[in-house]
Amino acid sequence: MTAASAPAPSGLLPVMRRPGLAAARLLRLELRHSAMLWMLPVAIALFWLTTYRKTMAMPPLWNLRATSMQSGAITDFIAPVVGAAAWMGSREARRRTTDLVTISARPRWAERLTAWAATTSWAMAGYLGCLAVLYGVTAHQASWGGPLWWPAAVAAASLPTLSALGFAAGTLVPSRFTAPLAAIAAFFALALSTELIRGSHSYWQISPLVTGPWDTGPDAGVATFYHFVPDLPIAQVMFLAGLTTAVLGALALPEGAGPRSLRAAAAAVAAAGLLAAGTAVGLAGTGRLDNHGMIAIPALHDAASGRPIRYTPVCSHTAIPVCLNPAYASYLPDTAAALRPVLDELAGLPGTPARISQAAATYRQERGNSVAIGLTGPVLSGTPPVYHLLLPDQLDGPVMTASELASLVRSGAGSDLVASVTGDGPGASQAQRAVTAALMIAAGLPMPGAAPEIVRHANSQPGPSPGARCQRPAAGCPALRVGPGAGPRGQPPPGPAPGSPAYAAARRFAALPAAARRAWLVQHLTALRAGRVTVAQLP
Amino acid sequence: MNLEIAGLTRRFGRTMAVAGVDLHAGPGVLGLLGPNGAGKTSLLRMMATAIPPTSGRLRLLDRDPGSYGPRREIRRRLGYLPQSLGYYPGFTVAEFVEYFALLKEMPPARIPAAVTIAVDRTALGGKANAKLRTLSGGMLRRVGIAQAIVNEPELLLLDEPTAGLDPEQRVAFRALLRALGQRATVVVSTHLVEDVGAACAQVVLMDQGKIVYDGTPGELAARGEGCGVGDAPLERGYSAVLAAARS
Repeated sequence: MTAASAPAPSGLLPVMRRPGLAAARLLRLELRHSAMLWMLPVAIALFWLTTYRKTMAMPPLWNLRATSMQSGAITDFIAPVVGAAAWMGSREARRRTTDLVTISARPRWAERLTAWAATTSWAMAGYLGCLAVLYGVTAHQASWGGPLWWPAAVAAASLPTLSALGFAAGTLVPSRFTAPLAAIAAFFALALSTELIRGSHSYWQISPLVTGPWDTGPDAGVATFYHFVPDLPIAQVMFLAGLTTAVLGALALPEGAGPRSLRAAAAAVAAAGLLAAGTAVGLAGTGRLDNHGMIAIPALHDAASGRPIRYTPVCSHTAIPVCLNPAYASYLPDTAAALRPVLDELAGLPGTPARISQAAATYRQERGNSVAIGLTGPVLSGTPPVYHLLLPDQLDGPVMTASELASLVRSGAGSDLVASVTGDGPGASQAQRAVTAALMIAAGLPMPGAAPEIVRHANSQPGPSPGARCQRPAAGCPALRVGPGAGPRGQPPPGPAPGSPAYAAARRFAALPAAARRAWLVQHLTALRAGRVTVAQLP
Repeated sequence: MNLEIAGLTRRFGRTMAVAGVDLHAGPGVLGLLGPNGAGKTSLLRMMATAIPPTSGRLRLLDRDPGSYGPRREIRRRLGYLPQSLGYYPGFTVAEFVEYFALLKEMPPARIPAAVTIAVDRTALGGKANAKLRTLSGGMLRRVGIAQAIVNEPELLLLDEPTAGLDPEQRVAFRALLRALGQRATVVVSTHLVEDVGAACAQVVLMDQGKIVYDGTPGELAARGEGCGVGDAPLERGYSAVLAAARS
C-alpha cells in the first residue's frame, strides 16, 4: 500500500455524472456476472430437446410451428430464468454486501433494476437465438406464408415477467434455497394454471402458454385460410407487461429503495401495471372461439382479421385434379398419389367432381374444452361439382407425417369420394352399397366397415353439418363425435355384410375388367344414385 | 467539522448498542478503540448511514443524513469498509472496485483512473484482473479498502481494516491512513492499539455503548503509567481507562 498523492476529492471537482453512461457500465458489469449466463446453455438445451425437435417434426406450416414454439419456449425458459433471477435478487444478502450497497449514492432500486435487466437481457438473447434458428429453418422449409410474430412476441414478453417474479422472490426471501424453489414453483404454477381453462371464455387463457382453444393442441387448420387473430396475444402481452411493471414498481416501494418522489412514482407505476394486468385478464374472459379456430376478444377484435387469405392453390396432374392450399404444397404429391386409384376409377363418370379442393375448417366451441371441427358447407357443391376436402391435419389430433396423412386421406376421403359419386349414405340401397364397396376394392381401398384405423376423417357425408372431434378422451369424450343433423362422420360408409347378396355382388362387380365396370357405370350410375337399381341387376 | 455527533443512541431490541455518544472530528485520523461489544461497529454503521440512529443528532460533512437528498450527497463523499466484507467471488479486483465507484455515482470518465489509483494504493496492482475468489483473506481486506477509497472520500470509515494484513502491509497501511487523513476525516475502528499509536491523531475509547475516553494517543498512554496492564504504554493506558470506567 502506498501513501502516494491522489486526485482531489470528487466533491471539489466539477462533476459530469452522465447517469446514462454510468448505468451502461453497471449493466456491462452485471451482464458479465449474471447467473443467467450460466443458465443459458440449460435453457437452450431444453429448448432444443423438447421444443425444437418436436416443432421441426411438424409440417413446415408457420401457424403450427409458431404456436408450438410459443408454449414450448416459455416452458423451457421458466425454470432457468426464474431461478437465475431469484439467485441474482438474493445476491446481496447471500454475499453480505447489503451494507456496502445500501450506503451507495445510487438508489438501491436502480442498482437492482440493473441486475434484473442483465438477467433479462441474457434470457432474451437466448430466446431470440432459438427463435431465429427455428424461424430460419421454417422459412427455408415452408412453401407459403410468413412468420407469425404475435406468438413470438408473447414468448418474448414472458421473459421479463418471469425474470421480475424470480428477482422479487430472491429479494424478498434472500436464501440460497429461494432460486431452486422459485424455479420449481413457477414451472408448476404456470403449467397447472392451464388446467383451470374451461372453454374459450376462460380467464385462465391469459396464461402465455395458451395459443388458442386449449387442449386442441397444434392445429394446422388455424391461420392458414384466414388471417391470424391477435386478440388473445394482445391481451397476453398486456397482462405480462402490466405484471412486469407492477413487480418492478413494487421493488422500489420499501424505504431506502430511493427518494420519496421515486417511491411515489413507483407506487403509481405498480398500480398502473396491476390495472393493466387485471384488465387483460378481464378481456381474456370475454374471449370466444371464432369460426376459424382462434380466440376473438370483442374489445380487441379487428373485423378485418376475419377475412380469408387470398391464395392460388397448387394442383396435381391426376385424372381429377387435387388442389391444396399452397401452405400444404409438400403434402400434394403424397395426397395425389394416395387418391390416384380412386380418381382413376371415378374420372369421367356422371356426377363425378371436376376437382378435389382443400377447404377451410370451421370451429365451434362445445361443452368444456371440446371443439367441433368440420366443413361449413356441403362436401360436394358447384357446377361443375367440386369436392371439398379437409385434410386430417386440419382436424384435431396428433400431427402426422406426409405419408401418414396420405394414408388417412386414401382410406377416408377416398371412400367418401366414392360414396359421394354412388350416392351411398344413410338410407342408401343395397346396390349402392355394393357398388361403393366394389369401387373401393377395385381402387385398392379396404372394404367398407373393415378399416377401424380410419378415425380421423371428416368427409364421409355430403351435407352441411360439420364433423366434430373431442379433445379430451380422458375426460370421457369419444374420439370422434357426431355433428347435429348429420350421419355418422369420420367412418367409411357401412359396407355390405359378408355373406349377403350385396357382398357377393360387390365382389363380383369388383372382379369385372375396369373397362366393363366403367361402361356399366356410365350407363347406369344415374339410376343407381336414384335407387332404381337392385343388387340382382348388378353385373 | 466533518463529523458532529451529539447524544447518539442505537437500540437493537432490548440491547442498547450505542448509549449516548458525543463526538466531533475534523480532517485527520481518529482511532476508535474498545473491547468486543462496546458499540464501535454500530456507531460506525450509523456514521456510514447504513442504519439510522434511534435518537440523537448526527451531522456528516455538514449535512443531515436524515433527509434523502443530503444523505445521497454524503454517500457520494463517503468511504466505508465493513467489519465483515461481503464480495462477489466472480468479480475481478478492478471490477469490484469499479462496481462500487459506479454505485457511489462517481463521474464515469474519472472511474478508470480512480480504480487504477485505488488498486495501486492498496498494493493490488498485480492482482487487478484476478477473481476475488482466488485471493487470500489479507488481499480481500485490501480490496475492501480499495473500494472504500476509490472515490477519494471526505469521510472514510474503516472497521477493523488491518485484520488479516501482514506486518509489512500494516506498516504500509498506516502510511496510507496518514496520507488520507491530511484531507479527509478517517475513522478507524480497531483492536490493535499500535495502529492507533502510529497513525491516529485522536483516539476514542468506547465501552458498553459509551465513550469513556476522547483524546490523543499520548494522553491515553499517560493514563496507564504505573497502573495499567499491558506490554506497551498505549495498552496500559487502554486497560487503565477501561478499568476506571467500569469501577
